[in-house]
Amino acid sequence: MTPNLALVHIETPQWRSIPLWIPLFLLWIPLILLSPLIFLIIFGLSIAGKINPWRAFRVLWDLSCALPGTHVRVTTEDTKVLVRIL
Amino acid sequence: MNENRRQILDLLAAGKITVDEAERLLAALEPDSTATAGEFTSRFAGSNGTTESKVKTRAKYLRVLVEANEKGEPTTVNVRVPMQLLRAGVRLASLIPAQAQEQLDATLSRHGVPLTVSQIKPENLEELIDHLEDLSVDVDAKEEKAKVRVFCE
Repeated sequence: MTPNLALVHIETPQWRSIPLWIPLFLLWIPLILLSPLIFLIIFGLSIAGKINPWRAFRVLWDLSCALPGTHVRVTTEDTKVLVRIL
Repeated sequence: MNENRRQILDLLAAGKITVDEAERLLAALEPDSTATAGEFTSRFAGSNGTTESKVKTRAKYLRVLVEANEKGEPTTVNVRVPMQLLRAGVRLASLIPAQAQEQLDATLSRHGVPLTVSQIKPENLEELIDHLEDLSVDVDAKEEKAKVRVFCE
């Protein structure tokens, strides 16, 4: 399944953000609209790099589908950064 | 039939585990199970005493934990990467053009990393990931005041 939401939370001594939920599923709209262009770009690059374009599509699709579950948290004494992809 | 599955059913038949426990263990064997992976060890009290059963389940995440003390400031990094992402990442390596792979291999070996990227093929990819599930790296650098843990869960 492709990522649907991303959670970004940043805390610094000067500034504290509320947990920011980014609706990644909305990216489908521009992605579908631009799909012919994206298709051509990937196809062209694959041919130039002597790579099977279908394999390239498959790998890119697999990569985006594997993103949910990624979790990165960095904490220092006064700063916290949290990124989660759901 | 899978050996682990048979082992669970044998334990159930011998009355060493309950139906619920067997169901839970069988569910943990499923590749898309939500159970934590690694080595799932349970102890079941049987008629002859305690029986230990080890059921291997698939790891879902690679966890990297770093605790460092930079300039007196404690820093913690906690990264959880899905194993699926690693699989996709290794597949991405197969998209590197042959000429670039040769250059990459040469550079890696020059820097003391005897890794041949061109030998990473889809057929040995699963084996590579499976072995990664048993990986556990603990680095404790006292001089740098840093601790690094890499493991699968």
